[in-house]
Amino acid sequence: MRIRRLFLTLGLALVGAMSALTAAHAQQDTLLDTIKKRGKLQVGFSSFVPWAMRDKQGAWVGFEIDVSTKLAQDLGVQLELIPTAWDAIIPSLISGRFDVIIGGMTITPARQEQIDFTAPYSTSGQGVAASRQLAANLKWPEGYNSPNVTFTCRRGVAGCKTVEEKWPKATLRQFDDDAIAFQEVINGNAHAVISSEPKPSFFTLRNPTRLFKPSNENIVNTFEGFGLRKGQPAAVAGFNDWINKNQAWLKQRHQYWFRTQDWASLVPNL
Amino acid sequence: MSLRDPVSARKPPPPQAAPWHRRPWWDAVQFALAAALLIGLTYHGATQMGYQWKWDRVPRYVVRVIDGEWLAGPLLKGLMVTIELALKASVLALLIGAVTAWMRTAPSRVGRALAWSYIELIRNTPLLVQILVCYFILAPALGMGRETTGVVCLALYEGAFAAEIIRGALQAVPKGQREASLSLGMTEADTARDIVWPQALPLMLPPLAGVLVNLVKHSAIVSVIAVFDLTTQARTIISDTFMAFEIWLTTAALYLCITVSLSLAVSALERRVRRRRW
Amino acid sequence: MAGDEAAAVIAPRPAPPPARYRWGLLDAFWLALIGTIAVAVAWRSQGALSYNWDWSSVWPFIVKYDSASASWVPNLLLQGLMTTVRLALWGMLLATLIGLLMGWMRNHRRLLLRLIASSYVMTVRNIPPVVFVFIFVYFISSQFMPALALDTRVGQLPAPIQELLSVLFGPLNLINNFFLGLICLSVFTGAYVTEIVRAGLQSVPAGQSEAAHSLGLSDVDTMRWVIWPQALRNVLPSLSGQFIQLIKDSSLVSLVSIQELSFMAQDVQVSTQRVFEVFVLTAGVYFCICFVLSQLFAHLERRHGRSR
Repeated sequence: MRIRRLFLTLGLALVGAMSALTAAHAQQDTLLDTIKKRGKLQVGFSSFVPWAMRDKQGAWVGFEIDVSTKLAQDLGVQLELIPTAWDAIIPSLISGRFDVIIGGMTITPARQEQIDFTAPYSTSGQGVAASRQLAANLKWPEGYNSPNVTFTCRRGVAGCKTVEEKWPKATLRQFDDDAIAFQEVINGNAHAVISSEPKPSFFTLRNPTRLFKPSNENIVNTFEGFGLRKGQPAAVAGFNDWINKNQAWLKQRHQYWFRTQDWASLVPNL
Repeated sequence: MSLRDPVSARKPPPPQAAPWHRRPWWDAVQFALAAALLIGLTYHGATQMGYQWKWDRVPRYVVRVIDGEWLAGPLLKGLMVTIELALKASVLALLIGAVTAWMRTAPSRVGRALAWSYIELIRNTPLLVQILVCYFILAPALGMGRETTGVVCLALYEGAFAAEIIRGALQAVPKGQREASLSLGMTEADTARDIVWPQALPLMLPPLAGVLVNLVKHSAIVSVIAVFDLTTQARTIISDTFMAFEIWLTTAALYLCITVSLSLAVSALERRVRRRRW
Repeated sequence: MAGDEAAAVIAPRPAPPPARYRWGLLDAFWLALIGTIAVAVAWRSQGALSYNWDWSSVWPFIVKYDSASASWVPNLLLQGLMTTVRLALWGMLLATLIGLLMGWMRNHRRLLLRLIASSYVMTVRNIPPVVFVFIFVYFISSQFMPALALDTRVGQLPAPIQELLSVLFGPLNLINNFFLGLICLSVFTGAYVTEIVRAGLQSVPAGQSEAAHSLGLSDVDTMRWVIWPQALRNVLPSLSGQFIQLIKDSSLVSLVSIQELSFMAQDVQVSTQRVFEVFVLTAGVYFCICFVLSQLFAHLERRHGRSR
């Protein structure tokens, strides 16, 4: 009897605690206030050469790291980088694991249904690198639209949708990481890989005997923005403000990371 | 107690029916209520996070009806691939297990050492690391495709467990059986085929069926090498549509269908074997 | 002398020397087979991958020289290993607590407790581990992990307590991450421990509880002094096996970006493109830990068994 009452009270307490917790979590200060109160900006990103990558010692470097560092500095808080799997980054943002996605996330309508984007802070494009072994004789782009052709991409990037739209008959294999997707093509297990520039160009430069670029133009041009949970207009406005004020700096950093290879000595050879 | 009332004449008091709040049906009701409460809380919590539930968009990923034709959606196709993988891997695993069990008991020292090191290697490394090693190191060396690598890796993994089961069953047959048949002049091969294995088979079948269930569960790991099995299809759909909760629940339900039915079949098999109606 | 002859008969003869192992045809066959496979794999790896082994690029990821503190600090791989060890130890503790509770409920008189425990066990044990990890992390954790807000609460604690917590649970900026993986692994392993505990409870002969009751011990006392001690002694071998299994299962949480050894290994492999070295190293580390532990447990069991 006593044990039963104990369990009953425990159960009720648990239920009460859970509802209290979920209710408490529903009320939020504006995001910028929360960040300033916490003293830390939590940024979600994924490794994506050259947006973010590990250098020879294992520290994070890249365009997104520079942007996040400067943003945290300007907000007057510490920066906390939270590397997350790319295909899980939006659910992680929504569930509150971090404040903002600063990871070169392309603004797409499908994503806009789930999260809010700031104004674009960089632009890029999608490119394809193809296998010399398998795809040298394929006509671009019609020859790639066949069930015998295998594209690879990283799970969750906008490029996957592009392949589904432009080459609907081709087989698409998705991987957890870009490097693995490229490795499949280099090893001759797939015909082509789609990724954000400048990766296809980089990899083609480093593996000229195994890869080639079927086309020198970007397949699609894309814009990237910070990703925020829905319902935070003040934060969106605040970040847009910051992006506007730092346009020149952003362009210069983008130039450094994307158009030059000056940073190549920092990272292990790809 | 009096002489007119011997103990044997006294009937025990009639059992009192338990009060309603101690009957089993009330327990079942409580359980159902608690489960409903848990589900309701989770739903509520997710909605408060800003998650939009889109259950109406889920069925098209399982099955679609186009012009009166029933087409399997990606999840169902993934399920077929999973079942196919599990069947192929189980056949290979049984083969590997039988050979390894034989090697462990054979008189060859090298054979015993090989079998022991294979089993210890498989049992002491995680399946994730094994499949990555198979795919990145073995597959290019041996020229195996993606699906073949998955089948081989799963077969190697479960083969170690199958080997131990088979060996245990073989050793459970009393030694006297083998000695008696050898003393009757039968050869080793005949002994194994006609005396030992028929007695060992009923002992090893239920645990081996359990190996099959485990295979179906562990086949989800091939998703890391992008084989189009059920888990991979689920992850692809989720990264396209962001319906994480709905799709994962549907996927789990599909897996539960196979594994629960297989487990029930295994229990039925065990009961039959125990009752020696084999 | 008569006494000597008697002594010679009674005293045991020295054992004959053990027969020398005769290397047979079967040994030759196996050696030849292994040799051929090894040569074939090596030759094809050379050709197919034209791989150059380069361990030097992997060492910096194990330990690095931190100029700020002028000492060798653990880098990614070693940090991942420490996280794995922490996950395994705390995970086993938590899983045992869950398993003890659920195992007791599994065979209870009351249907409600039996239903709760069996639905928990059946659900967790019949879903693939991979799927369970994904579901648990994104489904349940999104409900109460943000509400717990461990990292902010921990950040407010005084420094010495923070030091202690960072030894116990790893770097404090990753504490949310760590607890996510910990709870996931514990709930998953708890289902298996439940079955082990249930088997343990059932292995205690019914006569024990009957005798205890006939001696006048209450239900609670019977469980506490008679049933549970025997049950736990019986399940220790299985629990130690489950601990080793937990170390291997911890590799699965790498799929949801918990920063343990497998996650770091994949990270390093992607950064350095040194596939062979990193995976061989990782597999070797897991093998050493699990193998040493399993031999240790087997040795302890034998010692313990002998003394009884």
